[in-house]
Parts: sequence; structure tokens; C-alpha cells
Amino acid sequence: MRTLIRAALFGAVLLPLSAVAADDLDLRLKKLDAEVSRQAETISNQQQTINEMKELLKKSQSANPAGTEDNSTKNTGFFGGSLLNNPYISLILDAKGYISNQKNSQLSERGIAGYTTEAPGLRNGFNVDAAELLIFAPVDPYFNLYTNIPVTSDGAALEEAYVITTNLPAGLQIKGGRFKSNASRLNGQHPHAWDFAELPLAYRSFLGPEALGGDNGIQLTWMPEAPVYTLLGFEALQGSNPLLFGDDGNWGPHAFTAFARVSFDTGDDSTFYLSPWAMFGNTKTTGILPTDPITGNSFEMRGFSTLYGMEAVWKWKSGHQKLTLQGEYLYLKQSDATLSEIDTNSALVLSETFKRSQDGAYLQAIYGYDRISAGLRYDRMEIFADTFERGGVKQSFGSKPWRVSAMTEYKFTEFSRIRAQFNHDRSERDGRVNNEGILQFTFTIGAHGAHPF
Amino acid sequence: MQKIIVMLCILMMASPAFAAVKVVATLPWIGSLAKEIGKDKVDITTLVKISQDPHSIEAKPSMIAAARRADILMYNGLDLEVGYLPILMEAAKNPAINPGNVGNLNCSIFVDVLEKPAAPCRCNGDVHPLGNPHYHLSPSNMKKVATGMAGQLAKVDQAHADFYRQNAQQFNAKVDAKLKEWHNRKLKGKKFTAQHKYFEYLAKEFEFTILGYLEEKPGIPPSSAHVQALIYSINKLKSDAILTTEYHNQTIPRFISSKTNIKRTVVPHDVGAGATKDWFTMMDSVIKALE
Repeated sequence: MRTLIRAALFGAVLLPLSAVAADDLDLRLKKLDAEVSRQAETISNQQQTINEMKELLKKSQSANPAGTEDNSTKNTGFFGGSLLNNPYISLILDAKGYISNQKNSQLSERGIAGYTTEAPGLRNGFNVDAAELLIFAPVDPYFNLYTNIPVTSDGAALEEAYVITTNLPAGLQIKGGRFKSNASRLNGQHPHAWDFAELPLAYRSFLGPEALGGDNGIQLTWMPEAPVYTLLGFEALQGSNPLLFGDDGNWGPHAFTAFARVSFDTGDDSTFYLSPWAMFGNTKTTGILPTDPITGNSFEMRGFSTLYGMEAVWKWKSGHQKLTLQGEYLYLKQSDATLSEIDTNSALVLSETFKRSQDGAYLQAIYGYDRISAGLRYDRMEIFADTFERGGVKQSFGSKPWRVSAMTEYKFTEFSRIRAQFNHDRSERDGRVNNEGILQFTFTIGAHGAHPF
Repeated sequence: MQKIIVMLCILMMASPAFAAVKVVATLPWIGSLAKEIGKDKVDITTLVKISQDPHSIEAKPSMIAAARRADILMYNGLDLEVGYLPILMEAAKNPAINPGNVGNLNCSIFVDVLEKPAAPCRCNGDVHPLGNPHYHLSPSNMKKVATGMAGQLAKVDQAHADFYRQNAQQFNAKVDAKLKEWHNRKLKGKKFTAQHKYFEYLAKEFEFTILGYLEEKPGIPPSSAHVQALIYSINKLKSDAILTTEYHNQTIPRFISSKTNIKRTVVPHDVGAGATKDWFTMMDSVIKALE
């Protein structure tokens, strides 16, 4: 009985306690529940905030679609490169190691009889002709400015400094200032862009080792809208090339060129290009015939010159391979001319009529695979025309000048290149052969535009 | 009566409403996108053929002749076309396509550009100083370019502005739909070795990793030491495949593949590679190649 009462009392005490405890547990569970749900809410709020911040970050990082305020850094600019307001500057170093069977004293007198007395200028050993400095940039929406400043050990020369218009209508364009003629592709090329270490024999014979060279003047080109690339051009130049035109001191602009270009694709991977051109104007030069070794008298030619050219190029490029076939024919006619022999006191010794029509051509093929290329070129003068008359008497200078060149070239990258070339040169006409070996290195730094076709 | 009909015909032919906008695009994907947005209102000439490496194009006279006639010139930008575009724009003698005019569209201005180097230097190879230019493999960026391109076409040809904008919206909607499909292909977490830095935008969008490159420095083929190091790291890190494109030299990828027993995957690099005929089929092929 007592146990029962004790148990009942115990139970009675426990019951409220357990009820309290149960209540307590319940309460605590409820509190826990509430806490958990509150925390879940906080977590979801925080996640939402994080997402919103991510969005904001994305928006601030992403470009403005209209591209207005960011254009100065996003725009690739005219020549690619992000420095829109600074001129593009590049420097090209062209260094050659040269070896010949002829001695330097012979090399320095190496002209081409009946054409030019000027020696090409390479000497046995190390040659660094010049470092070409190119500075170019758009001037404004209307003009682009280009300069080419070869720096030699004697100083800096201004070879080119010209502007090109960019806003003329109807496919017209004007180039003005000092520039290399675009009458043919080779006339316009800078030495580092040549396919071989030197220009073809015909160019050196009629124009000099650097073709017509930089001259002051103006050029007008017109590209009509046509299914096929067509370009017509005309140039009026001062005429300072010492071999073809020369400087009288009194003459104004006296050198003119006219050229036409046509080009079309012969397939997805190949292109044909044809360009007839002509240069004409008054000439005064002492560069054709050498001074007399005994008397020291020089020979000055005065007359009117016309140089015609016809250039044809076929280029093929597919996958890793490329092939370029190129040929050009040049024909010079000099008429209404006199040849004056002048002594060392500048007194006239003899004056006779002078008539000249000579021609020359070259043919070359260059094959490339990835970074390696190999080329072969044949130069030949006096193919159809070899008239050189003094006082009505035809002059003969010996065998016809010709040369064969073979080269191979490796590009480490687009900016550095090594070329090994061998020339078998029979242009001196007196039987003296010039076998030349040339190792040429070309390096470019800075922003350099690509070369035209 | 006949005279009147002939005159009406001539007048109709001369009516500007019938003149399609002449678009000149540099790369195949740009021409393809312009076709999606412009449909029959645009007449598209694409300069670069699919067989050509976009990094080594030379400006041909035929390209200059095409640019001469263009109403709008569209290009990839980020210096990818720096080897020929400046010459093209100057020689074309067409003021409409000069930089700064509505007829000159640099598609990269709409893009979130990856990999802008802090201090670009040629000692690191042929680096792109403005960032990685191969954004056409990124669906999110393509949507931005589509919208931007429609806006630019609208400026050139205001009469059809709404038409271009609608087509861009349709293109973007299709991209969104395709994105769901592509994300389901489980590219996330994969690891690849790439020949060239071509797949960065793809990697970001589909969350896979590129462990290393065959080209030590951009544009420069690898030395044998680098090839050995690559073989070692591919085996160690268990790369899933070597990614390359059809215009790259396959000798070294084949060699590495044979030494590591991982597959060499040729990924279509632009519209027209393989049997792809538009951007969507190209991306389908790309995603399939990566699976």
C-alpha cells in the first residue's frame, strides 16, 4: 500500500515534471525549428545577395555593347595595336655577310658596260647598309602618313615621307610627298621585302641598285568599281634618280610615270597579276659611261628617256606550301640625245648624237613550305634590243650580261629571317665572272604593316 | 503601252529598296552570322577561305576589289587580321569602310575579351596584345556579337532595322535553346591539351580545362624538349585528348598521340570546316569532337 502511494506520489510529482519536461522539450523543439527556419531564410537571403553581387560584377566587367567609352582600348586601331594616339614605329635591320671571288678593289668598280658605272656596294666581309626606321600613323580621318628613314653610319636619309588620302570618292587616291614610285612592284618595295638580296639586273642597269628610289612628287591612282581588280596610276616626280633622269639645276619636275594593274584569282588559292608601266622624262646623267681612265674625262648624256615595263606575277598558296612565279621585261629608249665628253676643267671636248634602245628581263620562281623557301632567278639583258650608238656608230661592249641566282631562306618567326644566296654573275661583259655568296639576316622590331601583294 | 512597261521595269530595277547591302566579311563565321541576320537583304562576300590559316593571310587584289564595292566591312578584330586588314582598308579607296564609319564593324567591341596580357612582348612569341581573338567559339559572346551586328546593319540600312533586330533575336533564342543541349553533353571537368590557344572561350563557357599547349609560345612550333615535357605531363595529368585544327601541321600532334595513347581530335575551327554549313552545325561538330 505504501509503495503504491509512494509510486503514485512519485508519479504525481513526475507527471507535472514530465509534463513540464515534455512541454520544455516541445518548446525547445519548437524553438529549434524556428531557429532553423530563420537560419534557412538568412542563408537564402545571403545567397540571393551573393547572386546579385555576381550579376553586378559581371555587368561592370562586361563590355558596353555600344562600345562607346571603351573604344580606345578595344578598337584595334587602323594598324592593329592599341596605341591609337602614338605613331607606329618599327626598325628593320638588314645585315649581310658577303664573299666574292673578286677583291674589294675590283668590286668597287663593278659597273655594267653600256648601262651603269655604279657598283652595287657590297664588300667582302660584314655589311650593314642601313637600319630602316619606319614611322607611320593616320594623321586624321583624311590622311595617313608614312616615313621611311634609312639610318647608315653616315647619318640618316629621308627615303620616303608622304601622305595618302583616305576619303576621296569614286575610288580615287592621292599620294604626295617623297616616295618610291609604284610604277612597278619592285620600284615600290623596300630592300627588306625583296625576294633576293638585290634587285634584278634590268633594274640596276636602267635605274640603279635601289630602282627609281625615293623622289619628291605626287601620285594619283584610280581604282574603278570593276569585277576584277583594276588600278590606273600616274605620277609626276621631280626626277632626282641620277641614272635615268638626273638633275639639271634648272629643271622642275621632269620625271613622269603611268601604270595600270589588273589582277584576278585563278582559283581559291591562286592569283594572277599583270602590270604594264612606263617612265618618261628628260635625262641628264654621267652615270652611263665611266670616266676615261687616261684623260679623266666624263661623259654626260642629255636627252629624253622612256622606260617601258611589263610585269607578270602568279601566286599560289595552299596549306603549308606556296609558289610564286614572276617575270618582268624592261625596255629603254633614249632619243633626241647628245653625248658630251667633258674634261676635268668642265670644258666641253666633244659632243655627238646619241641613240639608245636596250632591253632586259628576269624570270624567278620561289617555292615555300611553312617557314622555309627556296628561289631561283635568271637575269638577262639585250634580248631583242641592243642599240647603243654614238655619233651614228654602234658601240659593242662584249657579251650580253646575264646572271643566275639561287637562294634559300628560313623564317624563325614573322620577325626574323636568314637567307643564303649564291649568284653566278656574268654582267660585267669583259669575261670577268663574279661568283658571290651572301648570308643575309633581317630583323624587325615594332609595329610593321604587312607588305602589299 | 510597251514603252510604259519598259520604263516601269527600269524604274523598279533602279529602286534603292531592291539593292542588297553589300557586306564584306573577313572570316567564314562572320559571313555566316551576317547571313543569319541579314538573310536576303544582304549580299555577302567572305574573304578568307575555310582552308586557310586565319593567322597567315595575305591581302590579295581580289579582296581589295571586293572591299572597294562594300557598304560594310565586318571583321574579327583583336589583331587577328592585322596582317592584311590595314592594307585592305587603305587600298580599297572606299571611305565608307574607313575606321570610325558605320561601314566599319569590328565585331570584338561587343565581346568579353579573355587573356589580355599585362605586358605584351614579342619575346613571348606572336602574342595578341588585345586578348585572345578566337571568341567565335563562345555562344555567350556570339549572342552579343549578333545583337551588335544587327545594330550596325541597322545603321547602314535603316529601312530594314527592325528586320535585322528580329533576326538577331531569333538567332539568340536559338543559341539559348542549343546551349541547354550542349551543356548536357558533359564537357565539364574534362582536361585537354591544345595545339594553339584557340579554345579558351570554349573552355570557359563549358567549364573544361586546358592543361598545356603544343606551341610553347604562340606561333612558334615546339622544341623537342617541350614535346617530351608535354608527353610526360599528359601521362601524369591524364589529359583526355589533344585538340588541334585542320590548318595546323599534324606531325607533332600525331607523334604525341602515339606516345601517350590519347586521341588527337581535329576540331572544326570555323564555319565550313568538315561538313558544317552554319555556326550551329559548326558548334555541334565542335561539341561532338570534344565529348
